[in-house]
This record gives sequence, C-alpha cells and structure tokens, in this order.
Amino acid sequence: MFETIRLAKGVNVHVNETTQFKTINISIKFKDKLSKEKASARSILANVLQHSNEVYPSHTALRMVLDDLYGTSLYMDSSKRGNEHIVSLNVETVNDQYLSEEGVLEKVLNLMYLVLFKPNTEHGLFKESVFLREKNAVKERIESIFDDKTRYAQQRMVDLALPEHPASIPANGSIEEVEKITNEKLMEEYRTMIESNEVEIYAVGDVKPELIADYIRDYFHFTDREKPVAVPSMELKKPSQPRVAEFEDMKQGKLHMAFFSPVTFRDEKFPVMQLLNGVFGGYAHSKLFVNIREKESMAYYVSSSYSSQFGLMFVLAGIDGKLEEKAVKLILEQLEEVKKGNITDVEFGQTKALLTNQLTEALDSARGQIDIYDQYMELTEDFEPDYLISRWNKVTKEDIADAAKQLSLEMTYFLSGKESEIDA
Amino acid sequence: MHKVEFEQLDETLYHEKLENGLEVFILPKKGFSKTFATFTTKYGSIDNHFVPRGEKEAIKVPDGIAHFLEHKMFEKEEGDIFQQFSKQGASANAYTSFTRTAYLFSATGQVNENIETLLDFVQEPYFTEQTVEKEKGIIAQEITMYDDQPDWRLYFGIIENMYKNHPVNIDIAGTVDSIQDITAEHLYTCYNTFYHPSNMVLFVVGAVDPEGMMKLVKENQDRKTFEDVEEIERIFPEEPLEVAIKERVLNMSVQKPKVFVGIKPEKMDLQGEEMLKHELAAELAFELLFGRTSDFYHHAYEKNWIDESYSFDYSLENGFGYAIIGSDTAEPETLAAEIKHTIANAVEKWPFGQADLDRMRRKKIGFFLRALNSPEYIANQFTRYTFNGMNLFDVVPTLEQIEVADLQKAFSLVSAESQQSMFSILPPEKKEVQ
Repeated sequence: MFETIRLAKGVNVHVNETTQFKTINISIKFKDKLSKEKASARSILANVLQHSNEVYPSHTALRMVLDDLYGTSLYMDSSKRGNEHIVSLNVETVNDQYLSEEGVLEKVLNLMYLVLFKPNTEHGLFKESVFLREKNAVKERIESIFDDKTRYAQQRMVDLALPEHPASIPANGSIEEVEKITNEKLMEEYRTMIESNEVEIYAVGDVKPELIADYIRDYFHFTDREKPVAVPSMELKKPSQPRVAEFEDMKQGKLHMAFFSPVTFRDEKFPVMQLLNGVFGGYAHSKLFVNIREKESMAYYVSSSYSSQFGLMFVLAGIDGKLEEKAVKLILEQLEEVKKGNITDVEFGQTKALLTNQLTEALDSARGQIDIYDQYMELTEDFEPDYLISRWNKVTKEDIADAAKQLSLEMTYFLSGKESEIDA
Repeated sequence: MHKVEFEQLDETLYHEKLENGLEVFILPKKGFSKTFATFTTKYGSIDNHFVPRGEKEAIKVPDGIAHFLEHKMFEKEEGDIFQQFSKQGASANAYTSFTRTAYLFSATGQVNENIETLLDFVQEPYFTEQTVEKEKGIIAQEITMYDDQPDWRLYFGIIENMYKNHPVNIDIAGTVDSIQDITAEHLYTCYNTFYHPSNMVLFVVGAVDPEGMMKLVKENQDRKTFEDVEEIERIFPEEPLEVAIKERVLNMSVQKPKVFVGIKPEKMDLQGEEMLKHELAAELAFELLFGRTSDFYHHAYEKNWIDESYSFDYSLENGFGYAIIGSDTAEPETLAAEIKHTIANAVEKWPFGQADLDRMRRKKIGFFLRALNSPEYIANQFTRYTFNGMNLFDVVPTLEQIEVADLQKAFSLVSAESQQSMFSILPPEKKEVQ
C-alpha cells in the first residue's frame, strides 16, 4: 500500500500513490514518550505552531493563504498510543488536476515547512501573546470534557482505576501541568520535537513518492535521531476502591466498567481479543446490545470496547439512575456466557464479517489508510488487510472463551443525578 | 437509465425514475472497496400534521413519531434486521432529521444481498402493540441521553426561541411523555402515507456496477405491488417573521457558559436553483462575516470571548431555516452583543468586495471537491438536494456564477434585528466559574 523512503535515521516518508481520491493528504507525525507534562506542553505547542508563523504572523494571514489554496485544510493535533505521545501536522489539499491552477502542492508543502520550522517568535521565544492565548485554549479544551458526561465519566474512571498509568494520561495533558508550562519550557519542547523525535511522514493521493521525499529532504533538513526507548511501565495495580459512584446535575446514569486482560496489541492473541469484544459488546448483534438493549429495553447505548495498547476492556451503558445494580448483573451474566463458550455460529460469523468490513472500509479513506498503517507498522512492514483477516479466521470459539476467562473486573464507576433528584 | 457525466469532477451519475415513482441514483467510485447505500423518505419530525393516505381529514400525530417509526422498522416478525446485515458483513444504520428518515448500510462484499435487504426491510412494515411498547424504554433512554448533552440543548434551545408555530421547534425524538401515546396504528398510518416509493430516493455509491445494480433494483421493485402515486398533503402553521422568544437562559451542569445567536431567514419557500443560489450566497456571506479569517473572529478570539467550540452555520429547508453563531464563553452577554453588532454593521455598510468573494469561492470549491471523497457525504447530501429540487453537482457551476451583489442580497434576508434571538446555558449559580 505504502512505499517507504528513509530520509534519515528515525525519519521516514511513506507514500501511497493512488488516484482513488480527489485530494492529497499529508501527515507529519512526531513521536515522543508519553507523560502528563509532555502531553500538556506538546498540546500547547501544536496550537502555537498552527496559529501563525514568521511569514504569516497572524492567524488571519495564515488562514487567508489556506483559503486561497482552495480551502486547504491544515491543522495540528495531539494524540497518544500506548506509551507514545504523537503530535501531527495534517493537511489535505485538492489535487490541482481538478483546478484551473497548477503548483498548489508545492505551495502547500512550503506552508508546512513554515509551520514547523519558522515559528512566530520574538527574542528567542514564542510570541508571548500567542503563547498565552493558546495555553489558555488547551486549558479550556481539557475543561470542556466535563460538559460531555460520557467522556467525563470515562476519564474519571481511568483516573481512579489507573492513576499515573499511561491509560489515564489524556492526550492533551492536565490543567495543572498546562498551567506550569512556561514559554522557555515550550521552546525547549519544540526543539526536542523537531530535533530528536521519531518522525513518520505520510502522503496519500495522486503524487509521486520521490517528489514528496525530495521536497522534504531538500527543505525540512531532518537529521538522524534515536527511536525513543519503549518504557514497559504498564503494570496495573488493583484499584483501592472497586466501585465508585459520583453525582452531577444530570438525568441519565452513566455506567462505566473496566476489565483487565493480559493480552495487548503486541500479543499473539490480539486478534482473539478483537473477536471477543465483537461478540460481547462491539456490535448491534453482540450479547450486550441484544440482551440489555433489545430484550430488557434498559438502554439506548450499551457497548464494549477493547483498548489494545493497554490490555483493557471497557463497557459503557446509559441507563436509568436507579438501575445500576441490575445492569451490572446483566452485563456480567453476558460475560459469563462468553466464558462458558456459549457463542452461536451466527454471532461468531457476524463478528468476523463485520471486523473484516470495518477494516476494508476504513481503508477507503486517506486518513484511515494513514492511521491503520501507522498503527500496525511495528507489527508488519507492509500492512495489508489480510494480515488481520487471516488471523481472525483462525480463531476458534474456545479461544474466545479462554480470553474471556482471563478478564478481571477492575472497576465499576457510576455517574448519575443527585440522589434527591432521581425520583423527581 | 440516464447517464450524466461531470467531466470537471471526473464523476458519472446514473439515474432512473421507476414506474412506482422511486428515484434511483447510482454513482460508481473508482478505486473504492466499499459500497454505501441510503434509502431515504422525505418524511421527518416536522411532518406531524397531514392527511393520511386514503383519507380526507388531516390528523396530528404524537411528537417524535417519525423517529420512533425509524427504530421500529428494524424489528421484524423473524427478528432484528441488524442481524441480517451483520450476517452479510454490512454495517447498517438509520437516522431521522427534521425533514428526512434515512436507512443505510456500508459493505465491502455481498452488495446485491445487502441492497435487497435494505429495500425489503424498509418496504415490509411490521408493528405490533407489544413491540411498540418495548421500544419506549429504549427511546426514553435516548431522549434522556440528549437531555444531558448541553450542546444539543443549546442547538435545540435556539431553534425553539426562533420558531413560534412551525414544528421544527419540536425535538426530533419527542419527549419521554409524548412517545407514550404512540401506537402501532399510528405507525402504520405514518408509514402508509410517507413510505410510498414516490416519496423516496435510493442512492448507491462506491464499488458498484451501474447496469447490474439498476437491474437488480428494478426486479426487486417489480416483484412488489404498490398503491398508486398520490400527492401527500402536509399542513404547516403560519409562522411569523419575527422570532418567538428574544432571549432565554437554561441552567445545567456545564463548566462554562454557552451562547448561541440565531437568525431566522426572511424567505423560506425557496426551492431548486433559486434555493441553491441563495443558500450558497448566504453561506459565503456568513463565512466572510464570521469565518476564521473574519475581523469578528480575530477580535473575539484575541479577547477570549470565544474558544475552540466556536461555530457558525447556515441551514435552509422548505419552510424553515436558521443561521446560528456561538461558542462556549465566559462572557455570553458580551459575545452575543458583539455578534449582533457585527450583523448590524454589515447591514449598514456592506464590507466585502470581489477579492473577498473570490477567496471564499475558492475555499468552497476546495471543500466540495474534498467532500466528494466521501461516499457518505455524497449520498446524504445528494438526497437532501433532490428533495429540495436541487442537484448536488450544480454546486461548483453555481458558485462560479455568484456575484458580490448576490451575497449582499442573501445576507439582507437573514439579518434584521426582529429575526434575531439569543439562547444561553449557564452553570448552576453555586458552581459559577470565576
């Protein structure tokens, strides 16, 4: 799918030359070790760099150039995967063959260069007003999680169940750490990112791999760097309180459960966990959906998800505030069924069919291709859908039951309306 | 079968209107593995007052019924239709909006089987009192979930403020109380009136062979009998031009206040080319006034009046529409005043010229070409355009014809003070942020 060209040690360009899309997508990903402090600093950094630069010193000036380039989208974001924190610069621009103008791609690459290498600085630091405004923007973004009670409940649960574990470090960091970041510290973080982070560059569209590689080699000057050493400090400690209930002004009850599995992304049995998740609560044919929603009419949403990097399985359900106990009981009963191997041929077949569909479908978008390739790069050099499909096909019902038996419930978290209001 | 080539876009669209009135569109996409299909009826939450098929007197149905009907279409005597799609490796879904109910799937294999399933399950209703009762618990949880989402409450709150009589002011899912009144008989009445093929569009896009697909759809439809095509009589109340409520506040559990300013458009009966031109011109005008390169945005962002949640949108349907601008903000009053001030200034002295228009036009054309990478966007938007007498593929040629005066004219219909309203959500007082 992708052709890889090495530019320096730790710096690679991966290009998928295809006419499938009317646009060209490029992503530059900077990878570093995950910590709350890093995540906080790098989130501010992503905001500061996409705000303006030396040549386009205001937000408006930069955005006007992008509008002129046929509304090229350019944004930076912060994400995490396992022990890694990733800052990405993403652009999507229209392939000029659909336009009455040529040379759009070169202009876009030049803009990417400016964003990364010519930041908006004064006296050797980032322009103070931009720094302060964007620091505040990241703080506000973290605070806004509270308004989305599902996200808030999930964050509360992982904070309580797995403090200081990478699973509970948000990609945007924390308010406390964001507040501590100084302009000097941010500049230091910027230099680290440009000079010593592992860099993966992706391009998808009707473009020659050499063209992208040459441009980046000639202008970006990325030097050799070491791949960050993976820190395997992912041990899970038993949470001190296995059940926590909290209250906010709200109508629905949000039930979140966390299970631990010894199987992670790097494990041979990883495909088994994907199937287990599908049968248990991943789809509309799953045991949780069919029993809790369709049979009991207790929930609109109830599902499980498998966080493969950490070996965690989560169950989420939106239920009446008074029905926590009943819901937990029903959810655990469904898990028991899986453990006993009570999986029908239909459930088993449907799950394989939908996993396959989801994967092939995701590859019909340029972003999907980049994300999947980037994720599986450490397992296989040239990812093709069959890499997973053939492994799913080898999994048996017994394998799924065995994987389910290894799940241990770590925490049940319930967020609901204040008790006095439940009966109102 | 008609074949229309859009050379500039490198797309070919196949179309046929079948004898039973169903409009079928097929758009093959080169290089795609998946096929995405939507089967949509021109029937949404606003269609709550109508003359049922075969009758003379108009009736009013309980709030939330179109959405309830959408849920119940998936349940059949032999079981849940999701299961059928899953077996065939397809991900199925559905949604109900103010004006449409769409059933859809995406699949990378067994496309023919999945298309048959899609057509058959939507064309074979099965409602019983028992299954209807059972669904009430599920939908009540869905409504409760939305009740807890401040962004949905904000969006819906501003629409309620703007509209006095039009049913767009009724929540799409209804309320926990209103859905209790829904019966299987209601569902059949609505189904028989609005799910006739002549009120529906099938759109298939992706890895699809147009000839084979059209043949399959025709054969499927030929096997079934349908009643004659009849005009549907929908009744909408008179709606004044001025907004129903100028200002309103809701308290709920949020970390920071939220505010929306809404503006009700003056002409809401546009259709076809006229609608397309107005819609695009108004979008360009709002983009210039409130977009990320506007003076307003720059000023409001630097002053900390808006944050990353800031948004603006212009939306128009037959009979209603709205422009909505707002953000999470520590200063809702100041922000709303500034938005209104910006509108007033533009009314007094139109600030944009040819260069501004050209820049925004390029931006819009780029956005449109990007969107054509998405089968979901194409199918959903094309259907919306068709129901309003417009063609999605006219967007670029229409954009190219728009002049500065069109922007000003479109904006003049969506700007008067009496058409503006403000809705805000504030944290409970005890939790007021400093």
